[in-house]
Amino acid sequence: MKRSISITINGEVYEETVDQRLLLVDFIREVAGLTGTHVGCSVEGRCGACTVVLNGKAVKACLLLAVQADGASVLTIEGLAKDDALHPIQDGFWEKHGLQCGFCTPGLLMTLYEFLQNPKHSDEEIRTAMSGVICRCTGYVHIVEAVKHAIATVEALPPEERKEWFPV
Amino acid sequence: MATANAWVGQSIKRKEDHRLLVGEGQYLPDIVLPRMVVMGFVRSIYAHAKITSIDTTQAAALPGVRAVLTGADVKHLGSVLSDMSTPNLPGETNRPIFWPLSIDEVKYVGDPLAVVVARDKYTLEDAIELVDVEYEPLDIVIDPEYALQADAPRLYPDWGDNVLYHQHIPAGDAEAAFAQADLVIKERFRCHRTGGQPMETRGCLATYNPGEGLTLWLTTQRPHIKRHLLAEYLNLPHSQVRVIMPKDMGGAFGTKAPLYREELMACHLAMKLRRPVKWIENRQESLMNVGQGRDQIHQLELALKKDGTILGLRDRILADCGDARTAIYVGFAMPFLGAMYLINGYDIPNVDIDLTCVVTNKACLTPSRAFGSFAGRFALDRAVEMAARALEIDPVEIRLKNAIKTFPHVSAVGVHVDSGDFPGSFAKACAALDYDNFRQEQSEAWQNGRYLGVGFSMGVEISGVPSEVLVPMERQPGFGVATVQFDAHGKVQVAEGDSPHGQGHETTIAQVVAGELGLSPEDIYVTYGDTHSGPFAAGTIGSRGASYTLSAAVLAARALRPKMANIAAHLLHIEAGEDDFVFRDGHAILTRDESQRVPIAKIAEVALLSPTELPPGMEAGLEHTSHFEAETAGMHSCNVHAAQVEVSPDTGEYKILRYVAVDDAGQPINPMVVRGQIHGGVAMGIGNACMEEFIYDENGQQLTTTLLDYHIPSSLDLPHIETIEHNVPSPHTPLGSKGKGEGTPGMVPAAVANAIEDALQPLGVKITDLPLTPERIWKLIQAAQSKD
Ligand code: FES
Ligand code: FES
Repeated sequence: MKRSISITINGEVYEETVDQRLLLVDFIREVAGLTGTHVGCSVEGRCGACTVVLNGKAVKACLLLAVQADGASVLTIEGLAKDDALHPIQDGFWEKHGLQCGFCTPGLLMTLYEFLQNPKHSDEEIRTAMSGVICRCTGYVHIVEAVKHAIATVEALPPEERKEWFPV
Repeated sequence: MATANAWVGQSIKRKEDHRLLVGEGQYLPDIVLPRMVVMGFVRSIYAHAKITSIDTTQAAALPGVRAVLTGADVKHLGSVLSDMSTPNLPGETNRPIFWPLSIDEVKYVGDPLAVVVARDKYTLEDAIELVDVEYEPLDIVIDPEYALQADAPRLYPDWGDNVLYHQHIPAGDAEAAFAQADLVIKERFRCHRTGGQPMETRGCLATYNPGEGLTLWLTTQRPHIKRHLLAEYLNLPHSQVRVIMPKDMGGAFGTKAPLYREELMACHLAMKLRRPVKWIENRQESLMNVGQGRDQIHQLELALKKDGTILGLRDRILADCGDARTAIYVGFAMPFLGAMYLINGYDIPNVDIDLTCVVTNKACLTPSRAFGSFAGRFALDRAVEMAARALEIDPVEIRLKNAIKTFPHVSAVGVHVDSGDFPGSFAKACAALDYDNFRQEQSEAWQNGRYLGVGFSMGVEISGVPSEVLVPMERQPGFGVATVQFDAHGKVQVAEGDSPHGQGHETTIAQVVAGELGLSPEDIYVTYGDTHSGPFAAGTIGSRGASYTLSAAVLAARALRPKMANIAAHLLHIEAGEDDFVFRDGHAILTRDESQRVPIAKIAEVALLSPTELPPGMEAGLEHTSHFEAETAGMHSCNVHAAQVEVSPDTGEYKILRYVAVDDAGQPINPMVVRGQIHGGVAMGIGNACMEEFIYDENGQQLTTTLLDYHIPSSLDLPHIETIEHNVPSPHTPLGSKGKGEGTPGMVPAAVANAIEDALQPLGVKITDLPLTPERIWKLIQAAQSKD
């Protein structure tokens, strides 16, 4: 069974006719060709590597069908930077060595994108915010530092500029 | 003139990160080829059974299905294991015969018995469901101790028993040591099945044409090794096999080192179907097949004098290797190395170790970070703790008394340890924890009904494996290799033979090469992973990056300096050689007159673009390949870890309040990267020791086939991990660097278990088994209380 849908990803509209059972994550990776979003488990919704921001909320794209996202606006890791300027969360990860193999990174960045719009500051709160994405390489220590770095950057920005980094 | 390497010790940002942060990494699943089809497996639902029939008609008839094969279709390929792909160890070895797909009989839940090829993965999954298999269940053996019994079912009837490997390792005179002992600690320790499980599962993409031969993109730590084993198995000339690890890979931790049946299947299908065949393992398959490591029972005895001196050790090790059907390690290379590393950082002159590796109806043991030694490290450091308590000696003191004191050291069983400083490391760990005042705090806490404890572990960690060990063990070299090659614009390509996937080679190798050549890391680009464009090497294993591979890059860079100096002198119209120049700030600078300098970019330009300007008779080009082999049979780092916990006696739950890792990186190249390696190693150690376990029920069904059941720690499950450097440069590497991170998880289980037991001293519990789940701790508390 096929259906025609339209999903906006990183500002570009994708109008496609897809199988009803096509997962959103496969739409993003295979139809739109945006392979920055990863798949780390078998539709268990546990690893979080597939996390994207859908209508402003971080969601696991392996737990949704593409047809459920018809009409939605999706932000993926490819949409974070503005031309050559990295998003504060990308920058924090780079500065603080928040990634090793990089496989979990898209999920973490998109999860933390949502968190950073209204950041909390304690280690416990930061760790709670990112607990839905598993990282096997880093032990999370540097990721916590990366998030703190990003919080400081975001909070130092004038409100207008701050808003520009969070378009959805 | 040799100058200190300016980039060594700098925590610069990683060069590999930008592409990963913007979503432009290239991992195996991202690679797509025209005409590509996808492959998936039908796997056994029984732990041991005869296959009475396989009906593939319905699956084959499904639109979009391109092929369905069963074991009968691959029998002509022959058995997977050869001399080259089986460890060549001194003990008695049995070798299983098997094919990429099982024929007639399956031996564990998850055993591949048929393969389906389809145009897309959705069709593939439908087709796999349609393959109809009938089984006749056979008796199973799940428990390794039962596997040794005369009446146990046999996995391989032609062997006569279930013993895959057996070795007796005696050294010194253990009998005399035990006869003299004031105290003997005798205990049975059990380490469960747990291990690597990277976030990216296995996968491959194979393509073949008779002209070029086979190209295999593969999630692997060892492209060159896989290449020559594939050529052998598929009966192709070596020139017709190319293996490529994609630019990026989502972790491995040992699990991507063996040669697997699934990748052989993909190659065979690509050759048969003449179209690209891709396989991406799903998480369920991954949990059923890889990352299952450890799994040992140790009957360990320690002989001590009253003053805490360890006189000798006996250990009967039983390793459960599962079905033993992967190539290169075959399930028993890990327990073998674990046995050799059992005594580890302790100086124990008299040992008697007996290692038995058995097969059972489980997945084959695969390598996992802390290769083979996780279980033994737990057992020995636990036994030492028990001895300290029995003799009323402080746990730090008893360790210092028995730690390796002088370097270089050769252990009783022949392991070479080059350098380290245990007293210094202990001092830093104790200072960090304020250990002097801790005992006071602890007894006050006990009086207030709170249970605080501290536990230590100590050990040596492999810093690369030399050829002297690797050649006999795996028929592979241990050298590190790198080609350092200037391009015509003064930038430098470093091609290495390993295949890093998160360890930061692109950055650390760039740092050292830049430092040797007077350039900036931005001028250096590191390439790897493709057997057709990089030098032959053993791959990314055993913490050999900073020890072997990086050292090769340093030597290769240094080898270019005489030629660079000669070109510079020629361009300056002076007589001068290497010793007259320093290489700094992108220039070759004459030391006696620093105004005399030549841009390194100009030297490269002359060597490559305008060779007419070269000194007469000089060969064009500016490149060198070095093979680094340390002049010792083993380099190691010496480490001390400590955990501080609080335990709730009512529930058995505990919290790791502090985890302090004092580690020896020799000379760290990028301290931030080193810290990251240690954090990750400790995190995996805590996961493996405290919460992860592959569980098989009595029918051999694996109960942990999702990440919900196999619990890899989240950010909320782990403490903040504190790292402290205590570096003793290796005398055997050009920069003193040591490899770091592979052995780290092995430090964890004893540190945490010792801390928990310490906290519960008033209740008198004794921890012998892993994992350290609250339930286990609670049961131990209950048992101890009912004894009173
Ligand atoms: S792929 Fe693992 S949660 Fe979506
Ligand atoms: S960086 Fe490898 S899983 Fe997070």
